[in-house]
Amino acid sequence: MYLKLAFRNMKRSARDYLVYLLTMTLVSALMYTFNGLLFQNELRQYWNTEDMMEVMVCLATVFIMLVTAWLIAYMVRFMMEKRSTEFGIYLLLGMKKNAMTKLYLRENILLGAISLLSGMFFGIFLQQVLMAALFSMLGMTYHLHVAFHPGTISMTVFSFGGCYLLSLFRCRRKFKKMNIRDLMKASQKNEEIKEKYEQAKRLLLLLSVLFILLFWRFFGALQSNGDTALFLVGLVSTIFLFYIGLSASIVCYIRKKGSLIYRGENLFLLRQFASKVRTMQFTMGTLTALFTLAFMGSSFALMLGSWQTHLLKIKYPFDILLYSPDPADTFEREMQFLKEKVTSLEYYPYRIYTDGDNRVNAWMLTHLSNWGTMYQNPDGDPNMPDIENMLENYNTYYVCDTYMGLSDYNHLRGMLGYEKITLKEDEYALQIKSRLAQDVQDIADSLKLSGIPEAPGSPGAGNLHADSPLLVCGGIYADPFSQDGHNGCDYLIIVPDKVLGRMHPYYSELAVDIDGSAPPFLREELDSLRTAGTEAFRSAAPAPEDSMRQGSDTLIVFGAVNAVRDNLMASMAYMLASVTIPLFYISLVFLCVAVTVLSVQQLSDSANYGFRYDVLSKLGLKESEIHSLIFRQLTAYYLCPALLAILISGKMILFAGERFVMMTGVPVSSGSFFLKSIALFFGIYLVYFALTCVSFTRNVRRGHR
Amino acid sequence: MNSYIRICDIEKYYGNASHVTKAVDRLSFTVDRGEFVGVMGASGSGKTTLLNLLATIDRVSAGHIFYGDTDITALSEDALSEFRKNNLGFVFQEYNLLDTLTIEENISLALTLRGSGKKRAQEATAKLLKLLDIEEVRDKFPYQTSGGQKQRCACARALANDPKLLLADEPTGALDSLSSQTLLETFTTLNQNLGTTILMVTHDVFSASYCGRILFLRDGKIFHELLRGAKPRQLFLQEILDVLSFTGGKTE
Repeated sequence: MYLKLAFRNMKRSARDYLVYLLTMTLVSALMYTFNGLLFQNELRQYWNTEDMMEVMVCLATVFIMLVTAWLIAYMVRFMMEKRSTEFGIYLLLGMKKNAMTKLYLRENILLGAISLLSGMFFGIFLQQVLMAALFSMLGMTYHLHVAFHPGTISMTVFSFGGCYLLSLFRCRRKFKKMNIRDLMKASQKNEEIKEKYEQAKRLLLLLSVLFILLFWRFFGALQSNGDTALFLVGLVSTIFLFYIGLSASIVCYIRKKGSLIYRGENLFLLRQFASKVRTMQFTMGTLTALFTLAFMGSSFALMLGSWQTHLLKIKYPFDILLYSPDPADTFEREMQFLKEKVTSLEYYPYRIYTDGDNRVNAWMLTHLSNWGTMYQNPDGDPNMPDIENMLENYNTYYVCDTYMGLSDYNHLRGMLGYEKITLKEDEYALQIKSRLAQDVQDIADSLKLSGIPEAPGSPGAGNLHADSPLLVCGGIYADPFSQDGHNGCDYLIIVPDKVLGRMHPYYSELAVDIDGSAPPFLREELDSLRTAGTEAFRSAAPAPEDSMRQGSDTLIVFGAVNAVRDNLMASMAYMLASVTIPLFYISLVFLCVAVTVLSVQQLSDSANYGFRYDVLSKLGLKESEIHSLIFRQLTAYYLCPALLAILISGKMILFAGERFVMMTGVPVSSGSFFLKSIALFFGIYLVYFALTCVSFTRNVRRGHR
Repeated sequence: MNSYIRICDIEKYYGNASHVTKAVDRLSFTVDRGEFVGVMGASGSGKTTLLNLLATIDRVSAGHIFYGDTDITALSEDALSEFRKNNLGFVFQEYNLLDTLTIEENISLALTLRGSGKKRAQEATAKLLKLLDIEEVRDKFPYQTSGGQKQRCACARALANDPKLLLADEPTGALDSLSSQTLLETFTTLNQNLGTTILMVTHDVFSASYCGRILFLRDGKIFHELLRGAKPRQLFLQEILDVLSFTGGKTE
């Protein structure tokens, strides 16, 4: 009997809270889809880094479980309140509390089971879409096929069931505490509006706005952990106090009889809004926090995605590029090994030279925007002690400036399909990363390489050569050129070959042009080939990974002594995907959960609103005017937490975007991540909004009739 | 007195082809300007249906209702809303006040919906609050006031736009005897001093005794009509009781 009743009640709940059911189905589908990444085997054979994806998806699952558990707990409590009279009647009829609790739990578990099963069913298809997208990101072909992995199913059941256990845990205790009178009275609770200390409370809005302004002004200047912690506390407080202040300010405005309330339906709208915001202030704060996190998650994912789209292709222009700290290395062993593994079109070993000075490094450290004034004296001159300290102790630039001969440079350009360049005898060229090219436009005026010292070992070593030609910059080239430690760090000075006579080889490189694609794991094999070298080699020279520097890229760095493009691009894509996919996953679930709470709140109140709109209709409001009123009411209600979240996350995203563009050189505007995030956000938001609008209007019309 | 509202041969049917309920059956009467008309009848006699038809919140199956020269049965939905806004006032048993608005705001809203400016709305609201003697609860929410105060607020809201007709559906149904008396005296004042035309549906003999004319409905038809004339209220109340005893005393 109880099971039948539970089933019937569950059907009613599913109908009344369709948005909730759909969201839970979506969450279950997403859980199944992303859990599938943990158990698929197709990629395991290509990547050793797969555990990173597993870690990230598991981490995302934890956050998602917490938020989903919150949604379920919220909905269980919400439905309980809405049905309190019904529960009171059950008790009046003699049903025991224990039986009633069981009945309610059964209903919810049934609802959860339906969401889980239907979600997993849709998840099977969604998983195929995700896998196809992931394979496409990795530049691989995916053949669609339906696969059931017991691990995926049990993990999804475990995570989804875990959410229910977490949230239903307190339900039994809540029922135990309630008596018939409380249950019968609970449904009337919301009708009482208590307005106290509104004048004082409205100051909270002022404080919140002030904090947001300060946040925008000073966020970029936060230095210490203490400052950051203080701002975070302020931010969380703002999110929650804002709504108390907003509601109080509207109430004060109405009490002051501002002109706006005497225009059309404004009085009704403002009162409705203030009343709803007041009763839901904590929930609204939580929703704002979820929206903020969703905005940030999707923006960061978009940043990484844009790096992959724009920079990954140009990050590794050479098919294979090997580094050796030994200036005399001929790469015999490597060439021998590669001949067995790939069809090579050309092997080109070459040297990077140095004059033993650090003038160019110093110039870079004082002129590139990402260093700011960090290495400048107050008068703008280079702070040499700091620069030398940095060059010695950090893994950014080589200690000495890096040079390449014109013939090597032109040969390498030829391998990459670029046009060859020419230099006069008194000219040098600058090869630099494209993101830094804008910062070095004045190099011709400010960096004249006239002070090339005599070659080391010569009688006048360390002194200026008497006939030293005055080298001026004859051109800046920003074509992709593997400048993360291979062809210099960030930059390379190209000089006429005869200038090299006064320099010494600094380290060696081998560029290889291959036919077709490199086999998987070739990079790892080359790495192990090196570590399997002779004792003499290992003791005489520093390990390549210790001596190789990586340049000023800081956010996405993959220093590879043996850079095999096909391997590295796929590895990088996989690593990026293991961050972007969970970020999108979290953002999507957070957004859906938050917007579901908004929708459910409005829809469950629509019966009550039905009465209010009925009164308005009797006061002479046309149906079209009532529809417009509903639209405006829902718009205000939906926009409020979203706009606050945009305001708060906006600064952080714009700041992070600016830094990201500066540090990575992604050729997009820093605001584009934010705008794209908003577009994505409102795309999903609109679906829920439209669904709510239609259902709300239908409910009101039904109530009206 | 001239005919202000003319109800001409109206009919209202509910149901479907297999089962038709005739709620109002070829009903005709007129209401003059400044009249206070009561409608009494047993449960199912059609009195609330009649009120809904006059209130334009339901449509007739046949017949015509004229407010002056305007036949409201021929108006579109939007035109009816406009008509309702400009010509009618409602007082219901359950008050129908908006619970998120204070007493004063409930009255103001009725005015602002009709496009009254700030100054006019404020003046008119203040006047109505005073007239209905609810000034002291102006800033309270409906749940903080008594039933009588709520009903007087509903009454003030109904009067906000000088309606041609004030329609009251069991206005004293949820009130105690003292609040009922106060409200009915208010209706009388409105009717006699301001000339407000009132049509009240009630099953309460005491309430009906305040009316100037009473229409007794049975099975959707008027079966009796009682005029108070210059009679004292107690005598009129006795006459109503006599009519009811004739019908078996059933009004609800």
